[in-house]
Amino acid sequence: MPYIYINIILAFVISLIGTLIYRSHLISSLLCLEGMILSLFTLNALLSLNINFALSTIVPLILLVFAACEAAVGLALLIIISNTYGLDYVQNLNLLQC
Amino acid sequence: TLTLTSLIILTLPIITTLLQNNKTNCFLYITKTAVTYAFAISLIPTLLFIQSNQEAYISNWHWMTIHTLKLSMSFKLDFFSLTFMPIALFITWSIMEFSLWYMHSDPHINRFFKYLLLFLITMLILVSANNLLQLFMGWEGVGIMSFLLISWWHGRTDANTAALQAMLYNRIGDMGFIMMMAWFTIHLNSWEFQQIFLTNPKNTTLPLLGLLLASAGKSAQFGLHPWLPSAMEGPTPVSALLHSSTMVMAGVFTLIRFYPLMENNLTIQTSTLCLGAITTLFTAICALTQNDIKKIIALSTSSQLGLMMVTIGINQPHLAFIHMCTHAFFKAMLFLSSGSIIHNLNNEQDIRKMGGLYKTMPITSTAIIIGSLALTGMPFLTGFYSKDPIIETANMSYINTWALLITLIAVSMTASYSTRIIFFALLGQPRYPSLAQINENNPYLVNPIKRLILGSIFMGFLISMNTIPHTTPQMTMPPHLKFMALAVTLLGFTVATELNNMTHNLMFKQPSRMHTFSTMLGYYPTTIHRILPYLSLTMSQNLATTIMDSIWLEKMIPKNLTTMQKTAASLVSNQKGLMKLYFLSFLLSITLGLLIAL
Repeated sequence: MPYIYINIILAFVISLIGTLIYRSHLISSLLCLEGMILSLFTLNALLSLNINFALSTIVPLILLVFAACEAAVGLALLIIISNTYGLDYVQNLNLLQC
Repeated sequence: TLTLTSLIILTLPIITTLLQNNKTNCFLYITKTAVTYAFAISLIPTLLFIQSNQEAYISNWHWMTIHTLKLSMSFKLDFFSLTFMPIALFITWSIMEFSLWYMHSDPHINRFFKYLLLFLITMLILVSANNLLQLFMGWEGVGIMSFLLISWWHGRTDANTAALQAMLYNRIGDMGFIMMMAWFTIHLNSWEFQQIFLTNPKNTTLPLLGLLLASAGKSAQFGLHPWLPSAMEGPTPVSALLHSSTMVMAGVFTLIRFYPLMENNLTIQTSTLCLGAITTLFTAICALTQNDIKKIIALSTSSQLGLMMVTIGINQPHLAFIHMCTHAFFKAMLFLSSGSIIHNLNNEQDIRKMGGLYKTMPITSTAIIIGSLALTGMPFLTGFYSKDPIIETANMSYINTWALLITLIAVSMTASYSTRIIFFALLGQPRYPSLAQINENNPYLVNPIKRLILGSIFMGFLISMNTIPHTTPQMTMPPHLKFMALAVTLLGFTVATELNNMTHNLMFKQPSRMHTFSTMLGYYPTTIHRILPYLSLTMSQNLATTIMDSIWLEKMIPKNLTTMQKTAASLVSNQKGLMKLYFLSFLLSITLGLLIAL
């Protein structure tokens, strides 16, 4: 397997760990989510260029579109949490269940 | 010669408007003399027609051709237009002379005369049109001039609303007119009368219905009638010209023009008959208890128009036309004499505040009495030569009995309200304040009224003697039917005099229900003018704002989705929000899975 792929997959794994393990702010999880998407996008683009399969060049674009929507949804959730709790600390997500 | 003289007639008034010397004082006299000469010239083709019975069609200027439809400026000079044009010019001449006295103190009197002249020109275009486009131009023209003239004193709210009312009701009629024009374009590919009558299509119900709607709007038939009593907000010469003798005749005139098509269509005839019968009865009922002298005369005009519709409905268009011509004379005269009374009593229009004018205004009271007698069909005055044949033919034809009975009742009511006018305005003791100076000596006032008196007395005889009857009149009928018209009129007279004499002694504390029905014009304006705008406004509010904006764009998907999700999520989930724990367990399970696989 070419080394460039391993590099990017390593970036993905690091971002994944960053998404799942975070201390107090919810926004850091969202940031690492963005990092995951970025590494996936780079992987897809390099893959379709190296294998010379022209039809699959559309896959990174579609991924980008969905990533944008997903980022928007994540930010909206963040804002609602911030509206109800004042901060985005993870500890206070089990208070005031609504 | 015929053709040239007719064109000269039409251009004479037009030249006067083109001169446009509005600032000078002699514009008025120039206008009046132009109309006088036009009247004199228009008698020449009429007399030629009477002598030779030769109709003429002038088609001179080819305007445009749209695909296969050729539009040109063409004039039709047949019996109807040649008889009506001198009459219209004569009455306009008298009215212009009268308004020299009536509108004397008005600063914009030049503009008033210009409007009257424009109205006359458009009316003549309407009458002499040979194709529907020209007729429509005249139709719209008289509508516009009526709007401008009714709102002459446009500082007054009532005048503005009355002019708007006239315009709107006319518009509703114009829908029917346009539908008729469209039908003729589609099916017959022409707007010329000759082609329409030659091809004589068999399924003419739809365009004739449109025509009926148009005439109902223009001639104030029931359903589209409230604009005519409201149009009395305009000055009296306007009421005399437009709303008694010429404009409201436009609708009936167009119906008469289409008589070859209406002969074959019984549905339209019956509907015209019923519409006319309802109109004449309803407006006669409303006229019985009105207190404004101009409104009584306006409703009487409406009633006579209903009578003309009835005549068309029994397939006698020529009788309707003759009644139209004779009616113009005495109705204009009634309006002019009421204008004289109003001005002399210092703008008092309520008949309860007039009285005792019999001795102080002899010419005016003579005019009113002669006009009322002619209106009710007194034998051997003008109305007799037109109204009596109508009633006789109606009695003897195969007709809807209910329509006939209603028409007869309306004829007797004609006599009643005419008696009411005479009684309250002329007889008895004066009820107006004694400072009113009554002066009839102005020749501009007296001459038109005298001319119209002569016309009212003799024109019926002259017209009916000089026209060739197109249908054979009924010659034999039982004597009780022959005297029916006279009998109901006398009945109306006697009942009215009796009731009016009773008003000296008795008085009701509160008017009875029938009385308020009649005084409020049958509650028709009150209900319709409020309900229709309310309904259309609420419907549009429902459609546009409520349905489109609020429901479909806002509430249907976005808000519903949020509330659904919120309730579902809060109902179903029993999570405790321990995010770090959940993420950690996720990570652990992924690493464990990877380790086991490898």
